[in-house]
Amino acid sequence: MKHSTPSPSDRSGWSPRRITLSAMLAALALIFSYIEVIFPFYTGIPGVKLGLANLVVVVALYKMSPSYAVTINVVRVLMAGLLFTGLFGMLYSLAGSICSFLIMYLCWRSGLFSVLGVSLAGGVFHNLGQLAVAAFAVSSARIFLYFPVLIFSGMAAGIIVGIGSHVLISHLPDQIFRRY
Amino acid sequence: MFKIIRKADIVLFIVLLAFGFAMLFFTIRAASSPGEQVVINVDGNEYGRYPLDQDNVIEIHNGDRHNTVTIKDGGVFMSYSTCENQICVHEGVVTTPGQLIVCLPNYVIVEIEGGEDSDEALDAIAQ
Repeated sequence: MKHSTPSPSDRSGWSPRRITLSAMLAALALIFSYIEVIFPFYTGIPGVKLGLANLVVVVALYKMSPSYAVTINVVRVLMAGLLFTGLFGMLYSLAGSICSFLIMYLCWRSGLFSVLGVSLAGGVFHNLGQLAVAAFAVSSARIFLYFPVLIFSGMAAGIIVGIGSHVLISHLPDQIFRRY
Repeated sequence: MFKIIRKADIVLFIVLLAFGFAMLFFTIRAASSPGEQVVINVDGNEYGRYPLDQDNVIEIHNGDRHNTVTIKDGGVFMSYSTCENQICVHEGVVTTPGQLIVCLPNYVIVEIEGGEDSDEALDAIAQ
């Protein structure tokens, strides 16, 4: 496993500097969520979106640590829920995010995948997590007719976000993410 | 850019793609399965189910009681009954889910059951 990140001792552990940075990244992710609310990437299919906010999460996963990435993501989802999507939307989004993060963490941890693979898996599992909640809420198995659409759109979104993340990860200086 | 792609990425991509197409195939088949069915109950027990869109004539013999149910052009009617009042025969053709033909003297109930309304489930999410 080879990541162009600070040394392992530097990756975990909180410091005022990193807490501030996480807060800024959470705000950035929130802005990305907001951009998707005001400019819906409209495809004619409900529930299909790019997931720009995942860009921040993937970068945090690679440049900082999983705990930072998951914290940023949860803060982002809670804030976006309170601000734009409402309680049901929040639950919906939280399920997708947690599902997506777990699979991304496992893929990242395995060391087998590049950023593209990690993001690809994340995109698909985000949609599957949401679908599970939707199936539960509507309590109809018919909702799974939606399955293939969500797999393909999740793949597309994951690849686009993965390319963006790769560019960011290889160009952002490690200094930004250092502990002190 | 492309040199960062690893073998595992490609495997993952192909697996997801294959899975997606498998689900697509599966759901298209599920979606095109017959919707409305004619369910016949005799003496309170289910006697049989028949698709509403296939013409069919079903003879029901129950002891000395005899009924004939005919499915034709997407509608179903009782074409013959040994019962005295003949209400079921005069009921005429029923076509929509939830409608019934009942022959009380012979304990025969013919009902149309709808396929699950998939549009409703999808609309609940689409809002």
